[in-house]
Amino acid sequence: MSEESPDQIIDRSAKYVFSFFLSSAGLWLLAAALFAYLAAAKLTDPYFLSTCEFLTYGKIKVAQANAFVYGWGGNAIFAVSLWILARLSQAEVRGSVFLIFAGVIWNLAITFGLLGILDGHMSGHEMLEMPSEVWPAMLVSYLIITFLALVIHRSRQIKETIAPQWFILSALLWFPALFLIAWNGLELNPSRGTLQTVLSMWYGQSLIWLWLTPVALGAAYYLIPAVLGRTIDKYYLAVFGFWCIAALAPWSVLHHLEGGPVPMWIPAIGTVMSIAMVFPIAVASTNFHSTAFLDIGKVWSSLPLRFVIFGTLSYTVSSYIGVVFSLPAVAKITQFTIINEFHFNQRVYGFFSMIIFGAVYFALPRITGREIPKAAKSFHFWTSTFGVLLLLLAYLLGGLTHGVLAGQPTLPWSSSVIQSVQPYFLITKIAFVILAFSQFVFVINVWRVIFPNPFSCCFSNKKEVSA
Amino acid sequence: MSEDQQKSRNLSNPSEFSDEEIVKSHVELAKFKHEPTKNFLKAPLVFVFVFGCLIFVCSIQLAHSTNSFQLHPPVDVVELTAEEKESMRLEKKISSGEKIFAARCASCHQANGMGIEGQFPPLAGSEWVSADAGVISNIILKGLKGEISVNGVKYGTSAAVNMAAVPISDREIANVSTYVRQAWGNDSVEVTEEFVSQVRSEHAAKQDQWVGDELRSMFSDSFGN
Repeated sequence: MSEESPDQIIDRSAKYVFSFFLSSAGLWLLAAALFAYLAAAKLTDPYFLSTCEFLTYGKIKVAQANAFVYGWGGNAIFAVSLWILARLSQAEVRGSVFLIFAGVIWNLAITFGLLGILDGHMSGHEMLEMPSEVWPAMLVSYLIITFLALVIHRSRQIKETIAPQWFILSALLWFPALFLIAWNGLELNPSRGTLQTVLSMWYGQSLIWLWLTPVALGAAYYLIPAVLGRTIDKYYLAVFGFWCIAALAPWSVLHHLEGGPVPMWIPAIGTVMSIAMVFPIAVASTNFHSTAFLDIGKVWSSLPLRFVIFGTLSYTVSSYIGVVFSLPAVAKITQFTIINEFHFNQRVYGFFSMIIFGAVYFALPRITGREIPKAAKSFHFWTSTFGVLLLLLAYLLGGLTHGVLAGQPTLPWSSSVIQSVQPYFLITKIAFVILAFSQFVFVINVWRVIFPNPFSCCFSNKKEVSA
Repeated sequence: MSEDQQKSRNLSNPSEFSDEEIVKSHVELAKFKHEPTKNFLKAPLVFVFVFGCLIFVCSIQLAHSTNSFQLHPPVDVVELTAEEKESMRLEKKISSGEKIFAARCASCHQANGMGIEGQFPPLAGSEWVSADAGVISNIILKGLKGEISVNGVKYGTSAAVNMAAVPISDREIANVSTYVRQAWGNDSVEVTEEFVSQVRSEHAAKQDQWVGDELRSMFSDSFGN
């Protein structure tokens, strides 16, 4: 074992933590896929499972978003960011026991939270629907994990830091800040009237912009040079992009309140800030794509990078579309339609998840020393690409149809508006089936590598995961 | 370089960066932005122009849609003329009177004001209604008993209006009598609250109901005969 390179030592130190978080993330991904299918099926057939009180649309929809963001997103963020931080710091992952302990608490908290949602104990705040009893457990376990991530960073070999570290570390620290602000303003010292709505929406959207997005951007900033063997083109812009996101993103999300019963300056500021978001989006997409297109053949042949570049392209497109939709003239049509679903799914599936898939396929063989069959990875790539594109196209076109028709008060609601939107719901249902299938393949790929022989080893680990 | 490559795992691509190299080379890149240039650069100018446009658009957007950072949305203040105010006031008064009439009078006098032949006198077209406002006010305040003739038809052999027992405010009397005096083709001036209270105090001492002839003689001018 004395022949091991430093990287191998780091990978070995991250092995259990990474495997634990990744396998639980996989389970949550499947749970979210199931919920997504049920919700989509209920939209095309209202009588589907209508006798089951636990599975009404309102509960399912919320359970899906929470399972996806906290379950899949949270666990995947822990796995990927701990590993990338360890690699870039050239420091071992320490305190694996505590990390896994905190991870178990995190997963248990989300499990109970989702059960609470299905049982009808929603809190009613966007992306904080889990009953407030589980919030302390989530926060404490999260802080333990973040603390140990900071320990890794603190023991780094090179004092200077680079873009992936900024994005990942700040995302890790922004989440508890957002969470505490929302918790304080919604539960501990509930703000009154309009402010509560604004805060609730702000938290829900900022979670995506300041937690999921920076981690995915950081992973892309790491993976592109690591795979291509070349530095990020126009790297000096990255610091500008980083601070722009930090400063503008929490303001820009306010544009989602366009047309809502809030003081007019709130969505107006949101619109202006989301126009200003053009700069950080341009920076990130210049950095990623001008680097990737210098060696496009290699991007194509390396599957992890293919995932990453799909994700960054999706980020660019979705963010620019988001800017356009924030303009009041456009929002008049698109606000309060299923375009909102387009935004959410574009962010979490098309961008965040795709980059995480890439990072996982890059990291997993290095950590476990076992390669995933190329055909399986490729199958996962094509099915998820197809599923995501189908889903987003359906939501985009359906949302525009919805908006245009709903804006005409003379049309009868159910016979013309609902009927015109219904085919798009059918397409999303199909897309969710394809995505569920592709995510199932992903989970199988990951689990086969993590547990090559499930009946002989890692049994205790597996039991924890399924809890 | 070659040592690093050997160190990297057999799984990884030989041209991959080691992580240390990634950090070091990017740290260097952040320090030295680009090669010094000799010639005039067009790109910064384009950016200045684009950013200027964006800032302009954003300012217009803010100026147009923030409502000067006020809490409440802008209200279109419509200044009403004295005439409009007066007609709105009268409309309100009459609609209030209509409700009072429906609740307390219509059971006998009927919603169409025609009364019931031989029992309850009509109000539509009645000279008792169109006479001086004092007549209707007095009747509502104290009640009416005995026989009366309305448009030549005799009434009042059965029930009598006994209002003394019914609590009704001056304002309500003013509203309902204004309604009655202007509904069903009646066309008499409105009755004000002050007038009703004046009538009430004038006859405060009177205990029993009015008799038709008593009122007819009191207001003989306005009955026109």
